[in-house]
Amino acid sequence: MRALGLLLALAISGAQAADPAKILRVTFQAAETGFDPAKVSDYYSGTVIEAIFDPLLTYDYLARPATLVPNTAVALPRITDGGRTYTLQVRRGIYFAEDAAFKGARRELTALDYAYSLRRFLDPKNRSPYAFLFEGIAGIETPDRQTIVIRLKRTDFNFAHVLAFPLAGAVAREAIEHYGDESAAHPVGSGPFRLKRYVRSSKIVLEANPGFREVTREGERLPKIGGVEVSIMEETQSRWLAFQRGESDMEYQLSEVASAFITEDGKLRPEFAARGIQLDRSVDPEIIYLYFNMQDKTVGGLAKEKIALRRAIAMSYSVDDQIRIIRKGQAVRAQYPIPPGVAGHDPDYRSAIPHDPRAANALLDRFGYRRGADGFRRMPGGEPLVIRYSSMPTERDRQFDELMKRALDSIGVRLEIHKDRFPELLKLENQCRLMVKHSAWIADYPDGDNFMQLLYGPNSGQSNNACYKSAEYDKRYERSRLLPQGPARDRLYHEMARLMETDTVWLLTDSRYRNVLLQPRVQGFHKHPVMHQEWLYIDLELPR
Amino acid sequence: MSYLVRRLWQFVPTLAGVILLVFFLFNWVGGDPAYMLAGKIASPEAIENIRRQIGVDQPYWVQLWIFVKQVATADFGASWSTNERVSQIFATRLGPSLTVLIPLLLASTLLSLAVAMLVAYYRGSLTDRAAMIGCTVGQSISILVYILVFQYVLGYQLAWFPVQGWGSTLGENLTRYAVLPIVVGVVVSLAPDIRLYRTFFLDEIGQDYVRTARAKGLGEGRVLWLHVLRNAAIPVATNVLIQLPGLLAGAFLIERFFSIPGIGREVILAVERSDFPVIKAVTVYVAIATMVMNLTADLLYRALDPRVQLK
Repeated sequence: MRALGLLLALAISGAQAADPAKILRVTFQAAETGFDPAKVSDYYSGTVIEAIFDPLLTYDYLARPATLVPNTAVALPRITDGGRTYTLQVRRGIYFAEDAAFKGARRELTALDYAYSLRRFLDPKNRSPYAFLFEGIAGIETPDRQTIVIRLKRTDFNFAHVLAFPLAGAVAREAIEHYGDESAAHPVGSGPFRLKRYVRSSKIVLEANPGFREVTREGERLPKIGGVEVSIMEETQSRWLAFQRGESDMEYQLSEVASAFITEDGKLRPEFAARGIQLDRSVDPEIIYLYFNMQDKTVGGLAKEKIALRRAIAMSYSVDDQIRIIRKGQAVRAQYPIPPGVAGHDPDYRSAIPHDPRAANALLDRFGYRRGADGFRRMPGGEPLVIRYSSMPTERDRQFDELMKRALDSIGVRLEIHKDRFPELLKLENQCRLMVKHSAWIADYPDGDNFMQLLYGPNSGQSNNACYKSAEYDKRYERSRLLPQGPARDRLYHEMARLMETDTVWLLTDSRYRNVLLQPRVQGFHKHPVMHQEWLYIDLELPR
Repeated sequence: MSYLVRRLWQFVPTLAGVILLVFFLFNWVGGDPAYMLAGKIASPEAIENIRRQIGVDQPYWVQLWIFVKQVATADFGASWSTNERVSQIFATRLGPSLTVLIPLLLASTLLSLAVAMLVAYYRGSLTDRAAMIGCTVGQSISILVYILVFQYVLGYQLAWFPVQGWGSTLGENLTRYAVLPIVVGVVVSLAPDIRLYRTFFLDEIGQDYVRTARAKGLGEGRVLWLHVLRNAAIPVATNVLIQLPGLLAGAFLIERFFSIPGIGREVILAVERSDFPVIKAVTVYVAIATMVMNLTADLLYRALDPRVQLK
């Protein structure tokens, strides 16, 4: 009887914590694809999945740089065997949200669920787009219902970040089998929210999970809001007007109209501040870069004249113009391959590749790239020199084409624009068949390894889209994998960054600002560098 | 009946042409979908696994035969990117599209007919010239401009309608969310429709039967709305019916800006994602709808004018 009373009290306190009248209204600028963690790769599906499912670990909401903390695990993993074995205990008393798949029974979350969920990423049947994050797993054991032991193929001190990845949340085997091919539309997790209504590509309505375990912050039970209503709005004008009309509570996908609400020095315009609207501004954990295909016969290779050609092209390109014209000031110059907010980032590092078309011309002259009668330079052997830059047939990419044209004109190099659709560019890139292209990478987890692997030789044709193969770089990268975060690893990263610059494989360009606009009623929002959303932690002020 | 059978039989070669065109266009210019589905980092084995699962590793003739069977059984399988059944996509997206398109077509047709009749009656007058100049200007403005301006002025500035959105009941959508998209759609189609219908009416107003009707002492209203309209109804009906299938998939701009979960928006999503099962289904269904509407228009001729012989 006492136990029943306690349960009732808990249920009541839970109901009090999440106020059903507090519904957060947000927008996505692109449609989701579904909510089966093993089967999606898009950011928007990941955002909803993060709210419904529980990974073993998560990040402290306010700590910067991002800091791992236990989520459903009792503690951070015990790492043994020289960084090859991770052991975690799953907390008792955590339950999946009620669902028909459980046939009326309460279903406790166990280590077996995590073992099942992680194995799903490696099952070819699921063709998981994020299988690459879990490919280092050699085996998973569950000695008892609460313990999971993950054995890796090789030393990896960063694997804990993978366990905090939003898609690494636990699914229940019964739910996956119950819904079969429809599992993407019926997510059943143990997280703070559950799916209430779902109109694909249009509306996603979440409600606070009444069975969510007790999670508190500053003495208050989370979540405080009763639900989230996500509307898919592809067009910027629709999102911008909807926000101004108060039809949405937060909006971060307005880079095209940023000048309407942000001053040149990055402050909220006074007319918006006067209405109580808030601006949360941070730099996304991403890098944008211009890469050269190191296997291309025109720009590739490590011969001095090839390095000189790449260096001259990189020096002719104005990153400042890219930020001013294309980003409309809403980006910062990227100096280091690891962006701000990611472990290993060095705020004092400065790129060794300046914007200097005059020096670029002198470099080309020195290495025998002479101008012909038409004013364009030729290869040292006299053959025509044509740089083939690849981009998509979009308005934004046309602006990149124009900046490339301007850059190459300034050093007398002929440019050929190669236009193709995204899948085809991706295919050619994976086959190391593009010459020069812009590319971007956003952190899957906030550790430098996620970025430094982009130049690792064996990753050519996958994430290493420059197809760079340097024994010196690879040797250092392999050593860095054996080290935990710290000065020794940072030193190696420094050397690797300088090697990349010496060989001029990339020209790092920028990292974009994330400007989040919030209605006055939204409280406690702080953009986390890695988490997709902060719905668990924010509150809404109700009208008086 | 023999006419109907013959026309239905003619659907087959037309549909075969559509199937071949879609299939070859997608395979030649559509790019390899496996690379998009594979995610950020994918090994060659992972790419091959995806190609095998979605069937694009099969010889072209096998893929084409599968396509033909899908058309024959009306089962296009599941979306490559969301795994949702294509039949389910149509079942759920058709309603919102029709909620906008049917009132839009009705309102634009009735309004265009009324204005066209008016300006045709006053042919050559200042009213006629002003209307024609207005139509020419209106026609030369992109639909995108109409959407942006109407959404900004009527939705945001004047707050007469929601800026965007879609509700969960037909009544809520018809009275709240669909109104502004319908207004935009009507305004966009008014200019070309008025010009077109005006020419139909002018053709009829000069006919002998109109003079005869007037000579018999019939009132102008009766002459215009009964005799002239009935005789001009054949090309009007054709225009309305052949617009419908195109509008279904072609209203994507209105659906995107006003966040309407309709077919047009789904088509754009499918193209962006190289989601061939959805693209195949939409193309085939639009082709079939176009043929059915053409046939319906032909049958309607007979109902509207008993002198028409269907052979």
